[in-house]
Order: sequence, then structure tokens, then C-alpha cells
Amino acid sequence: MPGARVEARALSRRFAERTALGALDLTIEPGEAFGLLGANGAGKTTFIRLVTGFLAPSSGSLTVDGVSPADHPRDVQQRLGFVSEVSHLYPDLGVERYLRFAAGIRGLSGERQRQAVANAVETFHLETVRKRRIGNLSKGFAQRVSLAQALIHDPALVIADEPTSGLDPLQRRDVQTALAAEAGNRTLLLCTHDLDEARSLTTRCAVLSEGELVVSGPTEEVLAGETNLALFRGTAPPHEAEVPA
Amino acid sequence: MRRLLSLMQKEALVLFGSPIAYGVLFMVALVTAVTFFEHLRLYNQILFVFASSTMGGFESDTIPTHVNLIDTVFNPVMEQLGVLLIIPLPLVTMRVFAEERERGTDELLLTSGLSSAQVIAAKYFVTYAFVVLMMTVSFIYPVTAIEQGGLGMKHLASVFVGLSLLAIGIASMGLVCSAFASSQVVAAASTVAVCFIVYDLGWTHGFVSEPTAIFLDALSLRLRFGHMAEGFVFASDLVYFAAIACVSAALTRLSFELRRALG
Repeated sequence: MPGARVEARALSRRFAERTALGALDLTIEPGEAFGLLGANGAGKTTFIRLVTGFLAPSSGSLTVDGVSPADHPRDVQQRLGFVSEVSHLYPDLGVERYLRFAAGIRGLSGERQRQAVANAVETFHLETVRKRRIGNLSKGFAQRVSLAQALIHDPALVIADEPTSGLDPLQRRDVQTALAAEAGNRTLLLCTHDLDEARSLTTRCAVLSEGELVVSGPTEEVLAGETNLALFRGTAPPHEAEVPA
Repeated sequence: MRRLLSLMQKEALVLFGSPIAYGVLFMVALVTAVTFFEHLRLYNQILFVFASSTMGGFESDTIPTHVNLIDTVFNPVMEQLGVLLIIPLPLVTMRVFAEERERGTDELLLTSGLSSAQVIAAKYFVTYAFVVLMMTVSFIYPVTAIEQGGLGMKHLASVFVGLSLLAIGIASMGLVCSAFASSQVVAAASTVAVCFIVYDLGWTHGFVSEPTAIFLDALSLRLRFGHMAEGFVFASDLVYFAAIACVSAALTRLSFELRRALG
């Protein structure tokens, strides 16, 4: 199965006195579409930042295909693509110019770079806006550009942090369709608080609340009951899904 | 290397995609021209006074030796330009790191496989290149006229190197402020404050012992630039400016590490 394996053992991260993530045990298998759910402030973004190597863990271990992002961030980063909550893009650059930049900093050059940009433009239907400034794009197009840059180097792991946040229903469907098309080609780690999005895009998920793992298991099972909101609060007893030790 | 070049290209595009770069280039060129022509006008007035019949005219050796293009026009213009750089340069450096953080694009850069050293090198290099371009633009008027006044190419080159290094020193401090500041405005304001303090530490003489005063003088930007403005390029001055650049880059890296550790 293509994709990367992510494994966290007793992973925790503290900011001063506050524990953003506490002793998390989690495994994401290669090629899996995995959802990380939880309310705002549950620790989802902290987990993602630990996987990308943007933050270092306070204790515990985290590996991507056996490599620690804390110790070897560049080795891990070369294998991942990252789409963030807000479209973190450069508004003064044109779409195609930006994609060339994204390919360039991932080490693609010459013909490989041209081919990667052409594929990204085609895959994410950016033909009509390829010469436009990013600052002049709609949010939906901007998020497609963000997805295109994350996938331009064909990474084994794609991390999407609330990629449809702030989009209208049509734009949301476009982005979800693009993510769904990647299923099976690589590992997808999707952070969201949108339950429908989690149901449609992921096969397995975990729910975090205040930095603690509440439950993990097949998405259909975890989100089957009527206690989903209570799960987000961390107050409901988990049902059939796997209960963390 | 390919990654570094891609980032440098992007930095240049973002820099010149913003009106601030053009505004700063125009402002520095304009202020240099105005300052230069104002001193030239004063010089001509002095010459006129000495040349009048009551003073004996040009041909009677009555013009003091210190009334010449270099001492009356060039040196004062360069001195003023050195101080004036403290105002526009922070407008260029404030955005380099602080804007990335405000937009959230720093997270993309630092998770794309680029090392923090590569990010810092690319940003510093493009900023320094812009600073040298700015100095070239501001140097055109004085050079054209003073070259006629017999300053000599070696002296001109020394002044140009001095001005460029002074600007690089100020830009380096601006980049550190940008790396640590929470916003672009804070970055610009703190750069101006730091540079005004460090430009000439002579103001501390009243509060410190003599050895400390000598040490602080050695840290002043003005002293180092002053040597080159007079046509002398000392190795110690080159080391001084190189040290500012290296310490700034190290502090910038520290800001990255702190963010990674503290969040």
C-alpha cells in the first residue's frame, strides 16, 4: 500500500503550564484516510505541527515511516504535503509562478518541475486562473492552489488542517472531491470538526478533547451514535470503537 | 541549491511585487538628490563670496583649502545619508519575517523540507542585494559631480563600500527585529530605535567609565562607516560588519528554534 505510516507513542506537548496534547498513542497505517476530530483547541493542530516537525514534542515519540520529525525534520518534510486551515499563500504571486516556487523548494527542477506544475494545474482545474494573482482568487480557488502545492511533489503523506473551513458549500465540495481523489494513493491525515466531511473522506478516525484521545476506530463506528457532540466534549462513553488504554 | 534559488526568486518577486520597495528606492534617491543639491548650492554661495572683488577674487589664493567639493559637499552628504538610512530600511526589513508569520506562510516554508539556515540565507541575501541596489541608485548624483572634483576612484569605491556595509548593518538589525517581532509595525519601530542607539554610542560617555566608553565607541556604526567615508577600508571594519551579519543570522535562527520549542 503506498503512503506513509505515522506512529505516536505517549506523545505530549505542553505550552508553559497548559497541556495541548497529553500522552497520545495513535497509529495511522500507510494509504489510510485518517480523520482527526475535535473541537477547536482539542489539540488537532498541535498534533499536525508535531508531525510536520514545525513543533518539537515535550515528551514521547512520533515517527513517520520510522523517522522522527523532531530529530530529522527535513527527511520527514520531503515525504509530506501540507494544506492548512487558511490558505497560506502569497497574494502577490501568480498561480503558476507560485506552483513553480512550491515545486522548486521541494527540489523539483527543469522538466520535472514543468511537468509537476502542468499536472497540478490540470488535476485541480486551475487552467482558467493560472496567470491570475493569488490575491485576486476566490477562497475556493485559493484552497485548490493550496492543495495543488501540497501534492505537487507526490508526497507519501498529505496533511490537511481544516481545509474546507470558511468555504461555501460548492467550494467545499470541490475541495472534498479533490481530496477524495487522492484516497489510496497516499496517506491522508485530515483534521476537521466537520463530521460529514470526516464521514465522506476518512475510513478511520480519532476524537481528541482537551489534548486527550477520547476514542479511535473506524469512522462509521465512531460517528455512528448520537453522542457525537458529547464525544467532542470528552464526556460521552465511547461505544463500539476502540477505547484508549 | 535548487531549493535555495527557488526561495530567493520568490523573495525577490514578493519584494518587488510590493510598492514599498519602489517607494523606498524613490525616497532614498530623492533625499540624496535634494541633500546633495542643497550642499552644492551652499558651496556655490561660499565660492561666490570668496570670488567677489572685496575678497580678492579666485585668482588671488584667498579660497581656504577646506572649501572644496569633497569637504563641503561630498562628506556632509554621506554623513547625512548614513543617518537617513535608518528611516527607510526598516520599511523593507519589517516584512521579511514578520509578514510571513502574520500570513502563516512561515509554516509552509518551514515544513517544505527547507532548513531554517536555507530560509535565513535566502532572505538575508535578497535583502542585502536590495540594499546594494538602493545604495547604487542613491550614489549616482554625488559620484557624477564629485568625480569631476577629483575625489578619485579608490576613495569613491571606499565610500560606496562603506555606505553599502552601513546599510547592510542596519538591514541586519532590521531582519532580527522582524524575526522576533509580533507584527510588522513593531518590527519597524524597534529597528529604528535600535539603530538610532547603535549608530553613535557617544551619548553614553557621560554615564560610563573611560574603558567602557572606548569599547562602546568601537561598537558604533558611525565610527566604522566614518573610516570608509574618509577613504580607508580597514580589515577591522570589514570584520565588524561581517560580525553584525553573522550575529543577526544566528539570532534569527534562534527565533526559529524558540518558536519550535515554545510554540
